[in-house]
Amino acid sequence: MERLVQIVVDAVSVGSLYALTALGIGLIFGVMRLINFAHGELITLAAYTLLALSGMPVPVMIFGAVAVAVLLALLTERAAFRPLRNADPTTLLISSFAVSFFLQKLLILVVGSRLKGLDFLPALGRQTELFGVRLQLLQIVTIVVGIVLLVALTWFLKATRLGLHMRAAAEDFRMARVLGVRANNVIAVAFALSGLLAAAVSCLIVVQTGVVQPRMGLQLVIIAFVGTVIGGLGSLPGAALGGFLVGAGSILLQALLPPDLRAFREAFVFVAVVAILLFRPQGLIPARGLRERI
Amino acid sequence: MKLGRGPVLETLRRLWPLVALVAIVAAIAIVASFAPAVPQRRTTQALINLVAVVGLYVFVGNSGILSFGNVAFMAIGAYVSALLTMKSAAKSVFLPDLPQIIASAEWPALPGALAGGAVAAAVALVVGWPLMRLSGVSASIATFAVLVVGNVVFGNWTSVTGGQNSLMGLPAYVDLWTALGWAIAALVIAFAYQETRSALLLRASREDEAAAQASGVNVVLHRLRAFVVSAFLSGIAGVLLGHFLGIVRVENFYLDLTFLIVAMLLIGGRGSLTGAVAGTIVIALLTEGLREAEIGFQVGTTNIAAPAGTGDVILALLMLIIILFRPDGIAGGRELTWPFGRR
Amino acid sequence: MSAIAPLLVVSGLVVRYGAVTAVRGLNLEVADGETVGVVGPNGAGKTSLLSAIAGIVPPLAGLVTFAGAPLSGIALEDVVGRGIALVPEGRHIFAALTVRENLLLGATVRRDAEAVRYDIERAFSMFPILAERRHQPAGQLSGGEQQQLAIARALLSRPRLLMLDEPSLGLAPKIVDQIYALLHTIKSDGVTVLLVEQNAERACAVSDRVYVMSGGEFALSGNARDIARDPRFDAAYFGVRMREQAGAS
Repeated sequence: MERLVQIVVDAVSVGSLYALTALGIGLIFGVMRLINFAHGELITLAAYTLLALSGMPVPVMIFGAVAVAVLLALLTERAAFRPLRNADPTTLLISSFAVSFFLQKLLILVVGSRLKGLDFLPALGRQTELFGVRLQLLQIVTIVVGIVLLVALTWFLKATRLGLHMRAAAEDFRMARVLGVRANNVIAVAFALSGLLAAAVSCLIVVQTGVVQPRMGLQLVIIAFVGTVIGGLGSLPGAALGGFLVGAGSILLQALLPPDLRAFREAFVFVAVVAILLFRPQGLIPARGLRERI
Repeated sequence: MKLGRGPVLETLRRLWPLVALVAIVAAIAIVASFAPAVPQRRTTQALINLVAVVGLYVFVGNSGILSFGNVAFMAIGAYVSALLTMKSAAKSVFLPDLPQIIASAEWPALPGALAGGAVAAAVALVVGWPLMRLSGVSASIATFAVLVVGNVVFGNWTSVTGGQNSLMGLPAYVDLWTALGWAIAALVIAFAYQETRSALLLRASREDEAAAQASGVNVVLHRLRAFVVSAFLSGIAGVLLGHFLGIVRVENFYLDLTFLIVAMLLIGGRGSLTGAVAGTIVIALLTEGLREAEIGFQVGTTNIAAPAGTGDVILALLMLIIILFRPDGIAGGRELTWPFGRR
Repeated sequence: MSAIAPLLVVSGLVVRYGAVTAVRGLNLEVADGETVGVVGPNGAGKTSLLSAIAGIVPPLAGLVTFAGAPLSGIALEDVVGRGIALVPEGRHIFAALTVRENLLLGATVRRDAEAVRYDIERAFSMFPILAERRHQPAGQLSGGEQQQLAIARALLSRPRLLMLDEPSLGLAPKIVDQIYALLHTIKSDGVTVLLVEQNAERACAVSDRVYVMSGGEFALSGNARDIARDPRFDAAYFGVRMREQAGAS
């Protein structure tokens, strides 16, 4: 029984991580129809910022990571994505792929490709007991952070003026502009928020793995992408759900699969993804306004 | 003697892009054959890359959908051909758990290569059938999933692929002329495919999918055809890579190679076969130059060299510049045209 | 006739999409308080005309002046701030947002929150069906209700000029009656209206002046009542050239 709860908590914790990652991706896709591969680099560079600031007080480290992620997000928007605002989706996809690789290779050039250890908030790695079940403190923190950020984001989108503008822009960008919604502001805010989410994920991952390496962000976002696709591209609840399912699913599979198949669990997850897409190509929670009117 | 507007001339005009590209590629190979061993090997590598880029182009250029999964097909081709052509003795060393039929197989090169391409095409058929129903961007992300799944499967199916270990001992039969032969074959196949009605309909649907479907065009079917042909060529490219290096390593068939091939196609121009060739040539030249820069040159007693990894950064930067300023690439979506004009 | 310059002046407007010229050098005027109709069949270029004025598509040539100041070249987001509100063809309401949120978006450029709240309540009293559904997602409204919402949303920016693109399209006649009754009310409130319609009869009934557009040009223009009775109307609407007719007989 305890084992079962541990597995469930692990699944929810990992699911939350992927949900947050997918949300960051979904925010940008919503307003710009851009799949931002470079989101992975936001996560990676936030982690390297933590590394660079290690030894400083924790709030300073976290603030640094957030600042770097947000600034980098805004910079990539301004330099690489704004000129391509009206390009077709494939061009946007290629450009984000190129930006991602550029940042990654630049990072490797500067810091090398070997992984580096980082002991960040080691206290969170402790075991704790909740309702008689032994759990890792980090798992609980991850779930709480996930819920808090999800709620905060939802509040922002539903209750603020800017959030309303973003939701409108995500559904019908041009009509929003006709009504006076400032395109540049909305997109910049979306990127900034995605930076914030990336920094949060980065901190959690660094605590969990204790390792910083140039590929870390990309590995996360590849799986998160697939999550947004099954959740429904363009739909934020869909992105969160899809990311969560993919993350939680891989943990559950790991627990359920026989030992010799466990290494293939990612393959199984993707097969499940393909199966879902077969029956619901528009995703689990499809976004409105995505289908073109004839 | 005047050249009239006969059917011969018309055929030549239609085939001109293919003829010109084959001639260019052959000329490069011939020139390289007089060079010492190292440039020859580099050229062979470039020709193998050409097959890979042409393979990617067949799908991306005709469907307008970017595929990240072709490197997985390359891996399939490499592993299948390796398993079929390696000497039994070598196989028993690296892959002791292979089923007997495969363990004892010692096929000659060509059937092994064709098998590699065929299996890749078969996998593409199965995988592509659900994937091609997705819209452009979703399909692209799904092909990324194909790449990752391929990587996971090859990396962990230890009994068949050796898992994370390198698979060594492949017959290294790929030399300059073999690579050239397959490069020409790839160009011919790609050109022949893009002249088919299916490819034409696919390109039409690229512009306006709704209109195409309303006209009764089965977009999914045509996309699938392109995907399968593309996978076959990618599989062949993988076969060539494996039998050129003599080893197959799963991490060589993942993100870095994907980026390289996508970059080549993009910089050259994803809309035409000429673009695929142009991109390969330009990147090959660039890589050469950067390699020299990374080795460095002597100034007095100091060696001035670019730090390792500069090449990748420059390649990524070049890709960004092309995307921002000339998104259709060097070839701009056009094929080489008959230079002699119409009478 | 007052000597004040017209509210909206369009001169020499040319709109081209690639090889297709949708608007060929048009001249148009709308005086303050007037209701002007532009009628014509599908493909005449009416939507392109409105899109060019609203700043959605950049014109190839020509000048658009609004309230004395040039409108051409300003950013799309700034047009509504100048006092022009557009109800586009197909309505383009935000289906996932509530009715109230849609209305709120109409007031995006306004800074006077108190007055906006007042205007929203006024919209609800003017459009009772919207009041009923104020917290429902707008996508659940019927076509006619969505059209009302689109118009109410446009009015929330307190525009000087309201532009409507095909308000009757796709709606049942009874609903269209309601919409046009609405337009009469808006007109009597003093809002200047530029109306684009395929349904010439309706447009002529509510407009002061009418332009007949065909093939990117104005074939006929004048007082609405006169135009409706003009024998050349059908020919102008369907684009049959006068000169060719005369030559053929």
